[in-house]
Amino acid sequence: MSAIEKPKTGFLEYVLTVGISAMEGRGCYVPVDSAIGNDGVLYVVNRSQVNVARGVRVTMCNAEGEYFGTFGSYGEGDGQFTSPSGIAIDSQGRIYVSDEHLHRISVFDAGGRFLSKFGAPGTQDGELDTPSGLALDSQDNLYVADTYNNRIQKFTADGQFQLSFGSLDDGNGGLNLPWGVAVDAKQDVYVADWGNDRIQRFSPDGEHLATFGTSGDGDGEFYRPSGVAVDNDGFIYVSDWGNERVLVLNSEGGFVTSVMGDATLSKWAANFLSINVEEGAARSRANLEPEIDYFVPDSHEKSSHIEKYFWAPASIKLDGAGRLYVTESNRHRIQVYKRAS
Amino acid sequence: MSNSDVELIAHLMRRAGFGATRDQLHAHTAKGYEATVEDLLGPGAEQRMGDDLIRRFQPELSGMLNQNSSGPNWLYRMATTSAPLQEKMNLFWHGIFATGYPKVIHGKALSDQIRMFRRYGLGSFQTLLLELSKDPAMIIWLDNQDNHKGAINENFGRELLELFSMGVGSYTETDIQECARAFTGWTIANREYMELRSQRDSDWPYGRISWHFEYRPEDHDDGEKEFLGQRGNFNGEDVIGIICQQDATARFISRHIYSFFVADEPGVPQWPYTPPADEQAIEQLTQVYFDSNYSITEMLRALFNSDYFKSESSWYTKVKSPVELVVGVARLTGEFDRPRREVMDRYFRAIYMGQALNNPPSVEGWHQGADWLDTGTVVERVNFATQQLGDASKPGVQAMIDRIALQSEQVGTPESLVEACLDQVGALTVSDDTLTELVEFASIGGEDSLASDSPDGEARQRIVEVLQMVAATQVFQRC
Repeated sequence: MSAIEKPKTGFLEYVLTVGISAMEGRGCYVPVDSAIGNDGVLYVVNRSQVNVARGVRVTMCNAEGEYFGTFGSYGEGDGQFTSPSGIAIDSQGRIYVSDEHLHRISVFDAGGRFLSKFGAPGTQDGELDTPSGLALDSQDNLYVADTYNNRIQKFTADGQFQLSFGSLDDGNGGLNLPWGVAVDAKQDVYVADWGNDRIQRFSPDGEHLATFGTSGDGDGEFYRPSGVAVDNDGFIYVSDWGNERVLVLNSEGGFVTSVMGDATLSKWAANFLSINVEEGAARSRANLEPEIDYFVPDSHEKSSHIEKYFWAPASIKLDGAGRLYVTESNRHRIQVYKRAS
Repeated sequence: MSNSDVELIAHLMRRAGFGATRDQLHAHTAKGYEATVEDLLGPGAEQRMGDDLIRRFQPELSGMLNQNSSGPNWLYRMATTSAPLQEKMNLFWHGIFATGYPKVIHGKALSDQIRMFRRYGLGSFQTLLLELSKDPAMIIWLDNQDNHKGAINENFGRELLELFSMGVGSYTETDIQECARAFTGWTIANREYMELRSQRDSDWPYGRISWHFEYRPEDHDDGEKEFLGQRGNFNGEDVIGIICQQDATARFISRHIYSFFVADEPGVPQWPYTPPADEQAIEQLTQVYFDSNYSITEMLRALFNSDYFKSESSWYTKVKSPVELVVGVARLTGEFDRPRREVMDRYFRAIYMGQALNNPPSVEGWHQGADWLDTGTVVERVNFATQQLGDASKPGVQAMIDRIALQSEQVGTPESLVEACLDQVGALTVSDDTLTELVEFASIGGEDSLASDSPDGEARQRIVEVLQMVAATQVFQRC
């Protein structure tokens, strides 16, 4: 029997969970990224299933479970998505959403009205192959993880190409299917170098500055990290997607802590179970933290059995108050943490 | 290396796998037939598209809410694995222990069952039956969660004997009831909540939760039972042990293996009344079953090395199942060099041809053989194969065109072009009539267009057209 891992405490404190599985309206369906506006509005990108129109949208809500509506729909027209992936919000409140299948970035206002789009499939400067993670610097320049081109591209807010860095390689500065991107207070760029199991830090011009982590599931090790966020004190938060956990590093890359997930019922989930009484009662009698021998003793399997654990934590984002939002594709929810006081 | 060596190994790869590219056939032939059989039975570390890639770029295939997630996930595995016999056996067991989505309503539970076949499907049949009896999807599929001490539900016990191991006529109704008693208390954990969610197709609030087996001793009838002439306080493990000792079980599984890999037998319900087509083959496999302590690998080793399997008279006598056809084409075209949305189309194409992975038509599985073909499915099958082989943007098709251009340009005749095309799609052997028709087709437009100095685009287009015509032949639809 394997014991349930206790989350390491002391640095991160679980706050609450947002979300519920829903293909329409209030809720999330295979969410892959989130962003938080200055007004506290949480925008959640819902990927849904391949070739399924229902479910594809951006949900607007907040951490307290207030629901503000959705925008976007499935398709190839302006303001539509086919495989939406990353999301970021600039200083003006404009929302940028990448699409891995349409190889473009769409721009919306804070209310979700379509403004513009840029990007086309290809390998030349400004062209994209499966764009995923997005991040903005203080000047509203947009960094895009140009995934299958194994590089990061930097655009102006209106989509003009500025520069790119990285190529397929596992040496310093090389990238392998990069996913999440973040910019810190010094304007350095952090990349979740997914296929190389590490985080890299670059200067705003793309000069390699540091590499954090190696392959594995130990302290300070990663397996297919999906996202990265950096707080004002330089602490680095990583959604260690392949290990189904969140890792915290200090600014030098030293290991601080890791958590496996602590989800509780969101406001929407509690509402559902209070209405569906029979299901709620059966759930209350179920043991959702079983101690069993797993068919495959890996973290994906464990998280499939233990509902409170992160399962496919596809992104990690900070809000202005320093709260951490972990978006889980397989659990259709966002777990929120904060630094312990 | 003679042509007949290549063609024999091509036959082996069609039956024990999903066909092979010309490069693969060349490598296998260089090693020899028996060594290739050993590679199939013990493929070593498997190479395939990684779960990490699939889960990242098609995240719904990670949580596997439903059959449209579990089916494509399996299709990726079949299309990219270096261990094709393992996946072929998964299809084999899926066809016998046929478990379907409409009742289970849990994509990952169905995928987990296939994963269990992958681990145990080439080992001891006794172990496989035991794991099957603990498999959560099977428990729900055949209601064993409702099989209680003092209030048995016979469903699993009946099918275990009738469809999974012995066949009708080898046991009594009392044996069924005693079998069911032995499996009381074999259920899934959190039965009430999980069953309710399944019945309501509920993925609320946070998606599916994996199921796992639970044995509840307080709900198990541990009284004395009489089963197939033996008496004792049997539990499920004991019953499976007794089942595996039976001649009927040995013949049942032998006949299934023969039907799947050698030649179509009539449907299982006919078996009590229709003798096997090759009694000697069944006797040989039955003997190996007992000699090897019920080893499926040993039965397959004996079968693949037998004269009845290798005989030219058995080549192309079986109709590829839709999944075998779709996977075979995908392996030939090499289209899944990375996760692609097209996997959903391929999954649905197999459904249009009559085979939905993780959703067999009944507990009896699919009817094989010529039953796959009707006027609608034949058109779908031919259209699919010709479309795919006509797409020169696919890496496998590009590679075939390059090699055919090299092979045929030295001679530059319609005959050489047809020969090269048949060779490249897997060393196909066609009848004289078919060959004549293919050559006539390749002759349209004259030999000038085949010459090495013809415009490159024109010559390549001719190759694509002949490849498509080869994909439309009867032998391409067969294995």
